[in-house]
Amino acid sequence: MNASPTVWTYLEVLLLVALVPAIVGFVIVLAERRIMGFMQARLGPNRVGPQGTLQGLADLVKLVTKEDVTPARAEKAVHFLAPVLAVIPGLTALAVVPFGPPVRVGRTLVPLWVADINIGLLFLLAITSIGVYGIILGGWSSNNKYSLLGGLRSAAQLVSYEVPMGLALVSVLLMSRSLSLVEIVRRQEAIHLWFVFPGLVAFFIYFVSGVAETNRNPFDLPEAESELVSGFNTEYSGVKFAFFFLGEYTAMIIISCVAVTVFFGGWLAPFSGTPALRFLSLLPPAFWFLAKVGFFLFCYIWFRSTFPRYRFDQLMALGWKWLIPIALGNILVIAFAILLFPGRTTGLVGLSWIFGGMFVLMFLLSKLRQKLARRDRLAAVPRSQEA
Amino acid sequence: MALKKWLDKLTLLDLFDGLSVTGRHLFKKKVTIEYPEQKKLPSDRFRGMFRLDEERCIKCTLCAIECPIDIIYIDWHNEKDAAAKSVKVLDRFDVDLKRCMFCQLCEEACPTVPKSIWLTTKTYEMAAYDRNESLYLDIRKLTDWRHAPNVKPFTVVERG
Repeated sequence: MNASPTVWTYLEVLLLVALVPAIVGFVIVLAERRIMGFMQARLGPNRVGPQGTLQGLADLVKLVTKEDVTPARAEKAVHFLAPVLAVIPGLTALAVVPFGPPVRVGRTLVPLWVADINIGLLFLLAITSIGVYGIILGGWSSNNKYSLLGGLRSAAQLVSYEVPMGLALVSVLLMSRSLSLVEIVRRQEAIHLWFVFPGLVAFFIYFVSGVAETNRNPFDLPEAESELVSGFNTEYSGVKFAFFFLGEYTAMIIISCVAVTVFFGGWLAPFSGTPALRFLSLLPPAFWFLAKVGFFLFCYIWFRSTFPRYRFDQLMALGWKWLIPIALGNILVIAFAILLFPGRTTGLVGLSWIFGGMFVLMFLLSKLRQKLARRDRLAAVPRSQEA
Repeated sequence: MALKKWLDKLTLLDLFDGLSVTGRHLFKKKVTIEYPEQKKLPSDRFRGMFRLDEERCIKCTLCAIECPIDIIYIDWHNEKDAAAKSVKVLDRFDVDLKRCMFCQLCEEACPTVPKSIWLTTKTYEMAAYDRNESLYLDIRKLTDWRHAPNVKPFTVVERG
């Protein structure tokens, strides 16, 4: 592939930096509030504009016109810097995400990514973990006990969940044999197998850690609006608060983008190797990418409106006692599957069937358990109380 | 028991159960009533705004006597009508609505059939900016809501 023309790269950077905050403000926040409303049997915001579509504008006006308060005894410089630190890493990380295969414009081939660097995944992990500093420093510089507690919680949480997340991605690296996100997608295209199938366990661990990494429910301990007076961002208002908000949502987008690229074949149409489903490739690849990302963002919202918040020790127990050992075991299993059939994908396909079978078995088991529990409940009712 | 607990954790049943509940609610009918456009239809025994029928009222003051917080003020005098028959005429029939607790005991006490004073008008839109003016009902306001500008008579609005 020839090097992309610099002009296009600049344009893409501009587009990303301009579009992502706008999409966050106008689409994701509204979608979150409305979907959460629906799931709670209410309507959600629907007053500003048709079906509430202009709610983002109203929020923007409100946030921008608010007084920008800095607490008197705060660490002023850090207090100012923290929200910036929360946003910039997320936007930077978007640089390596491939939104689609190169597009031909005139005579030049324009890639739909800003940069395809050979350590893409590593770069992503490194850059996104800088976002933690924004939260910790924001909590510390506010000179407020609750904010500091929120910051401390997030430090422990994010450091803990980096580990299972990294380990889950390692098992994918074994299959893709490359850290470049573009290469990972091309590899999935070549072997006609999304990595989610052999890496079902890895994907599960990755997504759980991803939810924890972005401080979203049910792992939103740093924010914990009901316990910590919204935690690290208590002392923030106006545009600075909006930046923290933006940072959180950009992190969500990044996690979803990586999940799609690494596990769900990036811009590939579903089952692009199957002739019967070839027609799905008629839609542009970028559409498939964005649709998948949208689905994962929906999952974030779904989780938020479903699960109650974890206690701090439960959170740590889940990370260290469950996810890390499972991730390590998973790496071992995948490594064996690759080693047993060197140079062929037989092992990975077999693993897909095994994991799929286990999933079905788990489903049946849980149904059985449900049935047994219902029988126990009925048996526990005394005879006299029965109708 | 330990195995069962372990199995529970492994199968993640609780998580999927929870997700299916919220997932189903996503498509269910919403309970929200969008108030200014849609209005909730109160039940038939809902106790709302007062209404008085001066024709039916026999000026017995039983409602004022029954009122637990004494917010009904009634004054009357005798007059001779055309047939030189003595009739009672109301001087004053006031309800101090701002202290009313809508217990409906006045309506229960009323001996006329149908009741001369009643609360089952289903009207609940009577918020006011000034307590003493708008929420003090004299006979004019009680018999004709056009004199009580803060009272919006209840109208059924179909849910759209």
